[in-house]
Amino acid sequence: MTLLSDTGFIFVRYLKKLVRNPILLFFSLAQPIIFLLLFTQLLTRLSNFPGILPPGVSYLEFATAGILLQNAFGSALQSGNSIVADIDSGFLQKMLVTPVRRPAILLGRLTSDAFRVAVQSAIILALAYALGAYVTTGIIGILLIFFTIAFFGLAWSGISLAIGMKTRSSETVFAIGGFLTFPLLFLSSALFPTSFLPTWVQDVSNFNPISYAVNAIRAFMINGYDWGTILPAWGVIALVALVTLSATLYQFRKVVN
Amino acid sequence: MSDIITVKNLVEVYSDGNKAVDDISFSVKEGGFFGFLGPNGAGKSTTIKILTTLLRKTSGTVTIDGYDITNEASEIRKIIGVQSQETTVDGDLTGKENLFLQGHFQQMESAKLKKRVNELLQLVGLESAADKRAKNYSGGMKKRLDLASSLVHEPKILFLDEPTTGLDPQSRTAIWSYLQKLNKEEGKTIFLTTQYLEEADKLCNTLAIIDFGKIVANGTPQELKRQVGADSIRIGLENCERDRDNAKNLIKSMIGVKEILDSEECINVYAENASSLIADIVRALDSTDIRLTSVTFSQPSLDDVFVKQTGRRIRSEALVKAPSTMFGRVR
Repeated sequence: MTLLSDTGFIFVRYLKKLVRNPILLFFSLAQPIIFLLLFTQLLTRLSNFPGILPPGVSYLEFATAGILLQNAFGSALQSGNSIVADIDSGFLQKMLVTPVRRPAILLGRLTSDAFRVAVQSAIILALAYALGAYVTTGIIGILLIFFTIAFFGLAWSGISLAIGMKTRSSETVFAIGGFLTFPLLFLSSALFPTSFLPTWVQDVSNFNPISYAVNAIRAFMINGYDWGTILPAWGVIALVALVTLSATLYQFRKVVN
Repeated sequence: MSDIITVKNLVEVYSDGNKAVDDISFSVKEGGFFGFLGPNGAGKSTTIKILTTLLRKTSGTVTIDGYDITNEASEIRKIIGVQSQETTVDGDLTGKENLFLQGHFQQMESAKLKKRVNELLQLVGLESAADKRAKNYSGGMKKRLDLASSLVHEPKILFLDEPTTGLDPQSRTAIWSYLQKLNKEEGKTIFLTTQYLEEADKLCNTLAIIDFGKIVANGTPQELKRQVGADSIRIGLENCERDRDNAKNLIKSMIGVKEILDSEECINVYAENASSLIADIVRALDSTDIRLTSVTFSQPSLDDVFVKQTGRRIRSEALVKAPSTMFGRVR
């Protein structure tokens, strides 16, 4: 199956590029650690105020899900830079004059992004475990958390890939990525319990697709298999993926032709 | 030999209405070395992009090795090797890894690919740098690696878009000798675009000159130069003012002489059979007391061809410019 092997070769290419840029690798791995330590230290006293966090849940346990998502979100929104770099250098053209399967060019990138986010997520979970936050659903739950995060990352990578191919400018991808990250994260249930937020933010948060994904991961971590939260989350991610990946495909077709 | 590339009435109109390629037709013989010569913006790169399946043509027909470019692009991609104008190697990968990746894209079987990669590293003289990352290569090495990567799958036809633009003279000569070897020893058909007349003259056995999207002349370099007409003989005389008219009278009656003009040295003789005339001229002048200081013979250059066809010089910039490898280095 050439699509599979072509995707594999491109996946390996991107991983090599990541591993061989030690500074990029360091920050990719350090970023989730910093986020986890920073937020949990900053806000750890929230558990002193009764009624904000669910009973018996520490802020660390609460925030780990949000930080997992924040990390995946940030990575996904920079994914488009790689395609801009390949367009600029002519490497994309070089691939396009070969019989390489066209979808593999995108799939190779997306799978390498997903892999990177999975490794980062493993680091966050390991650190959270060391600090005392456990995943109640165990190994299966952890695997489902990885699945959810990778799926989420894939869906949001689509936005930056589409913007990257449309504008062919790394600066624009960075700017739009930065612009989207904070409002979407802070207006969601990622880092603060919804009850802690003003009413209008609660309303926004309830419709924010990020909140759905965070709530699902929080379910795996704290409440167990709460399918009433998990299935809608997967549905929302699928919907986002449908929109962003259609835009990506549309732009990709334009670039390829 | 039969034609391996046939282009008929090719037109490319960009979305802004600019006609980059305006109804061109030409063909390339199997095993030929075809040069597409023209100044920047003449339509060379647009044509090569269409022929290498990167750009859709507006109209016309293009057939490569019997395959139609619109309907059978994927077949064409298996038999062509392409080197684009900008050097495209992945700097984070080693030279060897770059070649393997290209081979994988071409669906090559691994044992064969391994053998081929070693052959190519030897061919372009990069064996000792094979396991170094390409970002540390010099400009000339990158270009050679890029060329090797377009050859991994042993393509029948090689498309090269200005392969030596921006290279130092030494790297340029090296690339030229690889290309001649590929064409002569391995029988590869080569399609090359260039803005260097010297390059086209040295390498190509068929040429087309393109300007403003139209082909203004094509043929072998010799044919094109013959169209311009005369060779020239530049003659310097010791006492030019005194002897000029005498000399002109003596030469004027010789067979083949077309025109005699005054020049800085003294006189310029234009003739069809200039090389055989030289001896006659020297003998005739020697029998009088006219003393020669110099005799220089020159054939028309492609530059003359270009001037004749377009009314201007292809570019004033000399072939030798600062080597690209110097950029980005602390000197």
